[in-house]
Amino acid sequence: MSDVLIKLENIEKSYTPGEPAAVRNLNLEVMRGEVLVLVGPSGCGKSTTLRLINRLIEPTKGKIYLNGEDVTDINGSQLRRRIGYVIQQVGLFPHKTIAENIATVPKLLGWKKEEIDKRVDELLEVVSMDPEVFKDRYPKELSGGQAQRVGVARALAANPDVLLMDEPFGAIDPITRDRLQNEFLRLQQDLKKTIVFVTHDIDEAIKMGDRIAILREGSEIAQLDTPENILTEPADDFVESFLGSGAILKGLTLKKVRDIQLQPITTLKAPVLRDKAIQSINENNDSFAILLDHNDHPLRWLDERALNRTNQPIEKSGRPIAVFIQPEDTLQDALSAMLQSSVGMSVVVDRRGKYLGCCTIESLAKLLVHESPVK
Amino acid sequence: MNNESFFSSWFDYAASRTDLIQEGVLTHLLYVVLVVTSATIFAVTVAVLTRRNRFFKELSLAITSVFLTIPSLALFTIFIPIVGLGFTPSFIALFLYSLLPILRNTITGLESIDPNILDSARGMGYTRNQILFKIEFPLAWPVILAGIRVAAMLTVGIAAIATLVAGGGIGDFIKSGLARLPLPNSLEAIWTGVLLSIILAFAIDSFLRILKRISTSKGIL
Amino acid sequence: MTSQAKTAKSRFNYIDNLNLIVTPVFAAILIILAATVWNYSEFDQTTENILRPSLLISQLWETILIGILSSLIVIAVAVPLGITITRRGYPGLKTFLVDSLGLAQALPAYGLIVVFYTFLGTGMPTAIYALALFSLLPVLRNTIVGLEQVDRSVIDAGRGMGYTNLQILFKIELPLAIPIIIAGIRTAVVINVGMAALAFLVGAGGLGETINSGLKLNRPTAIFIGASLVAILALVLDFLGALAEKYLKPKGI
Repeated sequence: MSDVLIKLENIEKSYTPGEPAAVRNLNLEVMRGEVLVLVGPSGCGKSTTLRLINRLIEPTKGKIYLNGEDVTDINGSQLRRRIGYVIQQVGLFPHKTIAENIATVPKLLGWKKEEIDKRVDELLEVVSMDPEVFKDRYPKELSGGQAQRVGVARALAANPDVLLMDEPFGAIDPITRDRLQNEFLRLQQDLKKTIVFVTHDIDEAIKMGDRIAILREGSEIAQLDTPENILTEPADDFVESFLGSGAILKGLTLKKVRDIQLQPITTLKAPVLRDKAIQSINENNDSFAILLDHNDHPLRWLDERALNRTNQPIEKSGRPIAVFIQPEDTLQDALSAMLQSSVGMSVVVDRRGKYLGCCTIESLAKLLVHESPVK
Repeated sequence: MNNESFFSSWFDYAASRTDLIQEGVLTHLLYVVLVVTSATIFAVTVAVLTRRNRFFKELSLAITSVFLTIPSLALFTIFIPIVGLGFTPSFIALFLYSLLPILRNTITGLESIDPNILDSARGMGYTRNQILFKIEFPLAWPVILAGIRVAAMLTVGIAAIATLVAGGGIGDFIKSGLARLPLPNSLEAIWTGVLLSIILAFAIDSFLRILKRISTSKGIL
Repeated sequence: MTSQAKTAKSRFNYIDNLNLIVTPVFAAILIILAATVWNYSEFDQTTENILRPSLLISQLWETILIGILSSLIVIAVAVPLGITITRRGYPGLKTFLVDSLGLAQALPAYGLIVVFYTFLGTGMPTAIYALALFSLLPVLRNTIVGLEQVDRSVIDAGRGMGYTNLQILFKIELPLAIPIIIAGIRTAVVINVGMAALAFLVGAGGLGETINSGLKLNRPTAIFIGASLVAILALVLDFLGALAEKYLKPKGI
């Protein structure tokens, strides 16, 4: 089984003869299981290149190989049923329910009804949407983020090996986009699909890609390498200017919270007596403690002064903990969380919300200095 | 003329001619059903075939629009030298009239579909035919149906003229009433014709409304 | 590159004005057909009588007269009425009128004319009033829609500059609504001239008389000539209306 899943060989796409081609003599290999990001300025041809892979656009010259098989001339519709396709505007069919939307390709491939129903439920769970709630709803009832989740589910329905994504998170608000990106990365860890991802946002490329192809006009590859290598050794001026300044900050998206050493902080489990709380804080020489509930979920920051205000019950003392980060979150998320918190550190919890430890700015800095992604 | 006595004589008139009324209404209904069905099939086919070519699209719209401009009496009678009297010339005229509303709405309906939907459909592996029948028609259907409604209403109204070319229908009442004025029952005949026409129009319109509700996906209502 | 752009532009205009071209082409075809039939068929005595040129011309004139007069009445009534309705916002009435156009299309013109006849007797006025009523709704609807679709912000700007309501009506709203109103008038004229063919039913003459004679006396030639004349008349008027629409549009819309 070869490692190269997709191969574009000498691909050219030209619309009007005499005018420069949209895609010029492109040679590209996508490895099995990797996320390859195509990134570049507007009009460079990245979307065109993506759509050449599933032949929504037919190449004027060259060959396309999928898992060793020459698919340049086979029936287009049949090829596309083997490849997942997600676009920015999602394109859900408004006259079909969510379940029917997701079931599209399995139905085209002739799956049995029970298999399809099971798969629909499965996929909705995978994209964190309750099947019972959403199965029979219609696209017009969904928010942007929900719609795109369904779009991803729909693309995964027939379990394709390859997923093509064209600026999938582009039309979504930044907060939801961030969340979707993180969820997607978690998903990819489990599914290990081969993904070609198009974006114009270099930060998204760095965050999402195992390898990045920075494209010039005509879909000419300026540099194709891992994010770390590109950040540390940009190939030429074009790449450098595309990366923009702040390579170090961009590097923050490459490392995860789990790489940081977590600080132990005094924790108190509710219900707890006020005096005991103050005593614990002093004993450990901390400035404050974290109040946990019976499930070990962090509730509040408790400092000594707040505790000394005896007119308030302990459950209302101090400040509520509003921001949580998880081990899979990036250092960028961690930094942002720490800056938001009033105490300069952020609480780390696991997937179920259980307290794991605290992340301080000092420990972040230590990680960056010792293992700096940028030399 | 005393209103009360008019109503009662009218009622007598109508009640004693239920078979005539039935015949007239059925003929009229037949016109509507046959014309609208065949016009829909023809117009939708033309719309689908010409939608990618701007010239032919505009040409078909222009030609069907000319049909609608030609006055009804003229269009009903102009083919008589070729096809004779009766049902045929009436059908032809009504058919030609119904083309534009349905054609125009079908074209508009198909063109107003969000291209992203069509792109994702292609990207998922639908063939062009599958896209037309499973995506485009269902989504354009409400608009097409609106055009069908216009065509149906037009047909109900204009088909009254069929009586002038021996084509039958509700117009028969009006003609016979007019011919016999001011003899007894002539006014009743005329009003019967007018009223039946209105009632039939209302009935067909209601039917189409219900049809719209049950045949349109909830996701796009 | 420039020459490519120029040819693209002129081809562009040609396709867009297809409407304007097809109508006169059809009219021309009909004229040729009618002329051919006129010249090359044998007229028997009856047909000769029906198709006397002097008779045809006076009927033509009657048809035009009925059509134009009823259209004038419609304009005189529908446009002010439309303006009034949109002034004080009678929203219920507005929607009712706009929506009911659908059902109103099903009104049999034939029936309407005959009913008017029973109230008003024979003669041109009967036909004129019947037709006026028949085409009232489209013009009214177009007036309302045309005025409603005027961009509110333009009206606001006018008010802000100190225009009175009357000035706004005449200097802003009406000019901007003219294209749609004219479209409605054009439809009314075509409908009315067409329906004027039925005027013979109420003894008001018109070209329908020729067709009717042809039907009664079983003379296909007469039927055809009569029908062609009516059709040609309608097409010519529609063409003129289309020209009016195109060239009466305020520049800049």
